[in-house]
Amino acid sequence: MTYNRDRNKRRKQLRRWGLFAATLAIALVINLPVITMILNSFRTTEEILTSSTIVPTNPSLVNYNYVSLNTSFWSYFANSIFVVGSATLLVIMAAALAGYALSRFRSRVITIYSRGLLLVQMFPLVLALIPLFILLRNLKLVNTPYSVILLYTVVGLPFATWMFKAFFDGIPRELEEAALIDGASRLRAFGLVVLPLAGPAMAAVSIFTFLFSYNEYLVATIFLRSKDLYTIPVGIASFMQQFETDWGSLMAAATMAMVPTFVMFLFVQKYMMYGAVGSGVKG
Amino acid sequence: MSSRTASQQTPDRSARKKRRTVWFPYLLLIPSAALIALVNLYPFAVGFLYSLEDGTLIQEGSFVGLQNYLDVWSKADFIGAIWFTAIFAFFGVFGSWAVGMGLAMLLNQEMPARGFMRVAFIVPWILPSVVVAVSWRWIINDQNGLLNMVLGWAGLDPVYLLSTGPFARFSVTLVKVWRSFPFMMISLLAALQTISHDLYEAASIDGAGRWQSFRFVTLPHLLPVSVVLWILMTIWSVNDFDTPWLLTGGGPSNATENLSVIAFKYTFQRNDVGVGAAMAFVTLVILMIFSVLLLRAQGDED
Amino acid sequence: MFQKLQKPTQDSAHRRRILQRKAILGVILAILAMLFVACGSDTADTAEPDAAAPEVAAPEVAAPEEAAAPEAVEVEFWDMVWGPPEYVEAGGSLVEQFNAQSDGVHATYQSTPWTNWYQTFLTAIGSGTAPDLSTGAGYQAVQFFDQGAILEIDDVIAQLESSGQADDFLPGTLERLQYDGHTVALPWAIDIRLPWYRADLFEAAGVEPPTNWEEFRAAAKALTTGDQYGFVTGGADNSGMHLMFVLMFNNGGGLFNESGELDVMNPRNVEALTFLSDMVADGSVHPGSAGFSNDDARKAFGVGNAAIMFDNPGHPNRYPEQIDNIALLSPLEGPHGDKGTISWVNNVMIYKQTENPEATKQFLLWWSENQKALWTEGNNTQIPARASIAADPYFQDNPLTKMIIDEYIPVGKSTGALGSGISPVLNDIEGEGVMFTLAQDILQGKDVVESLQKAEATLKSLVGE
Repeated sequence: MTYNRDRNKRRKQLRRWGLFAATLAIALVINLPVITMILNSFRTTEEILTSSTIVPTNPSLVNYNYVSLNTSFWSYFANSIFVVGSATLLVIMAAALAGYALSRFRSRVITIYSRGLLLVQMFPLVLALIPLFILLRNLKLVNTPYSVILLYTVVGLPFATWMFKAFFDGIPRELEEAALIDGASRLRAFGLVVLPLAGPAMAAVSIFTFLFSYNEYLVATIFLRSKDLYTIPVGIASFMQQFETDWGSLMAAATMAMVPTFVMFLFVQKYMMYGAVGSGVKG
Repeated sequence: MSSRTASQQTPDRSARKKRRTVWFPYLLLIPSAALIALVNLYPFAVGFLYSLEDGTLIQEGSFVGLQNYLDVWSKADFIGAIWFTAIFAFFGVFGSWAVGMGLAMLLNQEMPARGFMRVAFIVPWILPSVVVAVSWRWIINDQNGLLNMVLGWAGLDPVYLLSTGPFARFSVTLVKVWRSFPFMMISLLAALQTISHDLYEAASIDGAGRWQSFRFVTLPHLLPVSVVLWILMTIWSVNDFDTPWLLTGGGPSNATENLSVIAFKYTFQRNDVGVGAAMAFVTLVILMIFSVLLLRAQGDED
Repeated sequence: MFQKLQKPTQDSAHRRRILQRKAILGVILAILAMLFVACGSDTADTAEPDAAAPEVAAPEVAAPEEAAAPEAVEVEFWDMVWGPPEYVEAGGSLVEQFNAQSDGVHATYQSTPWTNWYQTFLTAIGSGTAPDLSTGAGYQAVQFFDQGAILEIDDVIAQLESSGQADDFLPGTLERLQYDGHTVALPWAIDIRLPWYRADLFEAAGVEPPTNWEEFRAAAKALTTGDQYGFVTGGADNSGMHLMFVLMFNNGGGLFNESGELDVMNPRNVEALTFLSDMVADGSVHPGSAGFSNDDARKAFGVGNAAIMFDNPGHPNRYPEQIDNIALLSPLEGPHGDKGTISWVNNVMIYKQTENPEATKQFLLWWSENQKALWTEGNNTQIPARASIAADPYFQDNPLTKMIIDEYIPVGKSTGALGSGISPVLNDIEGEGVMFTLAQDILQGKDVVESLQKAEATLKSLVGE
């Protein structure tokens, strides 16, 4: 009996480690371009252009030194965090409300709104640049982080709204009804009963919103003009000069931007599991 | 599941509370509707205006009605771009869905360091597109790159995957799959977590094997989510400019020009914003038809 | 803001068009607003913000003019990232030097990345926030001039002529910035494509540097062994297009004839591209070329997988450890004895939106005279457009730059050659990608005449024939 259970347990254990090894191997293969990036961040641009090996022959930290000491990388990093963080906050606030409306109410307006969210995704941004610029200039937002925050918010909103809707769909309405019977207003029922349960959904929405905007380049380069406002993607692009590109520094900067994000995700990854969109689009 | 409960309960409830609650949902929509309207309506209208004129982006032209929409179809490269867009979107969407699904199933298993693994698979999503493009170029289009090194071991001649049309199409789509599967993976993984274990137990009591419980429990459960993901990813693939542009610039010999690249070319490089905008709106209409059809098909199944 | 771009004579037509535009815009907005309120009579309040927002933003509502600064007049200068970080520093300190010297004018230096440069300038002009002056792509000035956004600088040229400084510009540079009877920008540097070769590989193969096309082809063939190829080029970006022009000009051809008309199929062009096609057939062109970016080609060259490539004057600086192995061929002679390559006169342009044209011109003249530090300290690798700067020992003591100045600059031709001057269509030709599609066709071994005919069709539609 005991022997059997032990064997079972061992077999289970073995299976889990087998899975682990297989997953790790797949992860390595899939991340080959990432590994390429990291390897090249340890060689100078000259070596990148003259070496026929894949692994650096004499790895050095010279790019990392250069990027962290001689460029404004850390200011780009702080700007990125500020812009993406603010957009994420705004998205959470607006999308939680809208997601709740989509989850609990039915009317043609709500259906149209929900479909409209899909339409918003379809409109190509490139075409909208000049009118957007005129709009934001009149709002006095050009060359401020707020322009970019506003645009990232709107880009992240539809998906976040669907996520919240799916999440609220899973919360039994009996909870609010009890509050309503006790005489609370709908707003209070939502704010005091439903919203406190939405923590995991907020975390999931933050993760997605972060991922949607962390690497955005076009909007950032058009609306952020001065160097002290640059986000990471714009900062990275400035390693590309007219006649050559400093690939070594570019790879180092990209690696430096990736590592803290990676670590942060290790802590929040369990909330990704609350990011189901469900059938939210249908409204 | 739960969304259906909601919709069943709504009619009678709202009938009872109509007087009291009718303003409430719209109040909730105001902040996001206002934000979206602020940023989208005016550019959308101006964009549409562009497509009715023959000017450039900084110098308005005269009104030409629907002429640009007619002209679009006589551009040989436009038809080619529609083709490549279709290939790119179809294989990009299903490729990333299949890879994402496989990985989601894998990561849904118990294993050591599962959290680390989950994050390891979303790294492709957090890299700037210019870095993605050049890393891939170095792997698949370099005489001394990884691909040719491996081929060399096998005694094969080097290949340059971005240097001939068919290979370039394949590679651009492959990179698209690579950039998109993390999104699919996370979304499907999240959906997998909502499947109750009872369902699998019931299936195994009925004698279902692994494949059968995947086929009859997992897949149907993931279908609604998948449809949403297909629609979104199709929209994002059709509108994807970075991937083909940074990898191949639309080449070689225009083989990897999709609708975004070509609308961009007409708008910015040929200074023919009327035609470029018309192309963008034709694309929009195609996408709308596609989404409506897919949503309707899903609605029928429900 | 649209008014600013319009010539005064077109005023009434323009106003009519604005009205028309306004009307259409109104209709569209109304439709959109209706879509949003579509079926909810009880939703009047949700619709309000939708309809109200765009009105605030309509372009016809002019933004209040900024009050001019009380003491100093501001001049905003956008300079492209022409070189390494030292370049940006040198540019910034030059502007500070200007500010220290001049009363009443205060300039700001803004370094502008090349990625998406066209969108950056377009949005700036389109929204009325253009700089006072900027550097930019070779044909940016003429293209934006054609769209009414660039100020001609004929008076600046007249001033230079009267002070005798006009002769300081290298021959042809000022002429190559003329369009429609106006000079649209001031030259500051010349970019050019040159044939670089790996002297070590030549030596190892016992091949002498070629002096004409026949020898070139033979050399490339002799240098092709194993995993080494005689010649490499980028095909997937501008470098492929540049190669097309290099070959056509080297054979006395070009896309245009002397009167500026399209002449794509002329026998010299066919001959030039057939030459490349033959080399591809010889197997001496690196097979990755069609899909290579310029940096991929440089990598192949730097590793020693290829022995010859065309690149800009700064090419050897990329490989500090190989620098002794890299040398420059003398201008090759084509089969009919022609010499030639492609070059661009890079320039500084003034935007019509400037509120202080006089101060801007004052800055422009100062910049033109005092910009030597962009090379000596900023490590710019182009060739200066002013003879007085090119005469500096910094250039003359370096045998490579001296050779480029003496032998190559005189045979450099513009994209519009054999026509003279420049025109907006050149920007379209360079941007549209038709020429790099042509290069890719030929590098993939497609038929020369057919590929040229395909390119001709696109070019005709660009030129509007």
